[in-house]
Amino acid sequence: MDTITLAGPLEAKLKAVREAGFTQIMLNATDIVGHPDGEAAAVAAVRASGLRVTGFQVLRDFEGLSGTLHAYKVDVAKAMLDMCHALGSTVLLACSSVSPHASGKSEELVKDLRKLAMLAVPLNIRVAYEALSWGRHVNEFPQSWDIVAEADRSNLGLCIDSYHVIANQTDLELLEDIDPRKIFLVQLSDFLWQEVRSKEERIETARHSRVFPGEGVHSDKVAEITRKLDETGYRGDYSFEVFNDDYRQLPLPMVCERARRSVGWITGLVSRRSLPARRRA
Amino acid sequence: MTAAERNPEPRNPLGIDGIEFIEYTTSQAQAFGALLQKMGFAAVARHRSREVMLYRQGSMNLIVNSHGAADPVPTVNAIALRVRDAAFAHQHSIDLGAWDMPTRASAMELHIPGIHGVGDSLLYFVDRYADFSIYDVDFIFESNIKNAKPPALAGLHWFGVVQAILPDRTADWLDFYESLFGFEVLPRGQYFGVLPKGTLLESPCHKFYLQLIEPPPGAEDVHWDEGLVRVGLGAPDVPKAVKTLQERGIVFVDNGAVQPSDKGALTQVYLGGVTFELVVSHLKP
Repeated sequence: MDTITLAGPLEAKLKAVREAGFTQIMLNATDIVGHPDGEAAAVAAVRASGLRVTGFQVLRDFEGLSGTLHAYKVDVAKAMLDMCHALGSTVLLACSSVSPHASGKSEELVKDLRKLAMLAVPLNIRVAYEALSWGRHVNEFPQSWDIVAEADRSNLGLCIDSYHVIANQTDLELLEDIDPRKIFLVQLSDFLWQEVRSKEERIETARHSRVFPGEGVHSDKVAEITRKLDETGYRGDYSFEVFNDDYRQLPLPMVCERARRSVGWITGLVSRRSLPARRRA
Repeated sequence: MTAAERNPEPRNPLGIDGIEFIEYTTSQAQAFGALLQKMGFAAVARHRSREVMLYRQGSMNLIVNSHGAADPVPTVNAIALRVRDAAFAHQHSIDLGAWDMPTRASAMELHIPGIHGVGDSLLYFVDRYADFSIYDVDFIFESNIKNAKPPALAGLHWFGVVQAILPDRTADWLDFYESLFGFEVLPRGQYFGVLPKGTLLESPCHKFYLQLIEPPPGAEDVHWDEGLVRVGLGAPDVPKAVKTLQERGIVFVDNGAVQPSDKGALTQVYLGGVTFELVVSHLKP
């Protein structure tokens, strides 16, 4: 589960997630810096929870900047990496830039992501680069994969978020082109209407109206993404990236129960994958 | 002629030219000093204002930093790399994503730029090693002879440093040393010394090596941190070096897979965690 789905203080989220039977948690920087007793208390709460940290999010708008803007973002990245490390997380999520000041030149993006990966090496952190569906230059996973492959750094890989893939109607066949070892995280979610045509709609839906897999109207797509990733050999973590305003005003156990049902739905998909009829020829 | 041939990738972008010094930290400076003397090092200078000593043997400089040290176990804390231009090397590394060294962390008051290495260790860049000694600024030499260089026992010289890393981290650290400094991986199977494991990296100047070691299989219960764990000393004739050091009271591990040979030798663990490795080597530092 991801803390962004739940309301309330960090400790309550950790407790609800653990009591629902989950063993991992995806953390957001605001969980840590927003803790009333400070960052150290937040880190201690996470460590005491016994939950494994799936990853830490989110570094925004890092790549493609120059001069003072670039230097500023490097400082932000270092602070994020330090927090990620303190939490015992080995994955930092970095989203493709939406900044109008960012270059779209692939050599610039490659250079900056290599730098980010280098910053992460001594801290034992892997950087998962995610194509936001409203990213300025990089908004589909084939683009983020091209950049990650070109950068060719051991600790730089991809995050695949089903929402962005579905929102931009990216060809799912292209998932087969990605080296599964270079996918560091998969985030799953769905939403409740058929299309999100404009950038504004995509942002609005992504930030307020996602639902758990199995609850939305693109179940077949979420299922296909999950199945394809599994078939290509992806064996890493899955996390529910469900931003939902309703869920943030519902009791935590109720939301966690919905997440549990979603796990059941996905497990059903995965168990079916072993049936010969479901296997690709 | 292709464009790549006309503009070759700089094989040694920082002009690395060997190891200027290795720095240890320990709170038991005297006991470690006594061990170093058995190993053939001589205390040649002390820092003007801090608890820092300079030891030498032949071409090797070794600094023992006890200034504010809490841990008694002598630990390799820093490698100082000789480079063409220290300021350039530092800026180049930062531009590529290295972490700058915390201010005033250096053993020296003379400003030596540096970056974070593995674990808590640092990598310094030193460019004044040919005509001018960096030690002249900070140190008072025992005999007022500034270039005191006690001869090396049995031709001992820096061979390299062993670095422990976490499981599945070899590729990450290869990226680090290759892209920052131009180190190159030696083919698998090309090992030196008595501990044939891990991954060996050769410096772009061909003057020293780094050995990356992940925990061995079955060591899941062993506490294993990342860090610089040991220096390797090169010797043209290992059995001769072993004999010389044994005569000075150094004990070498001699059991099972690890025993002194023509290829190398490993000392016993001293002072709760420090060892030295001998490796057959004809390097000319």
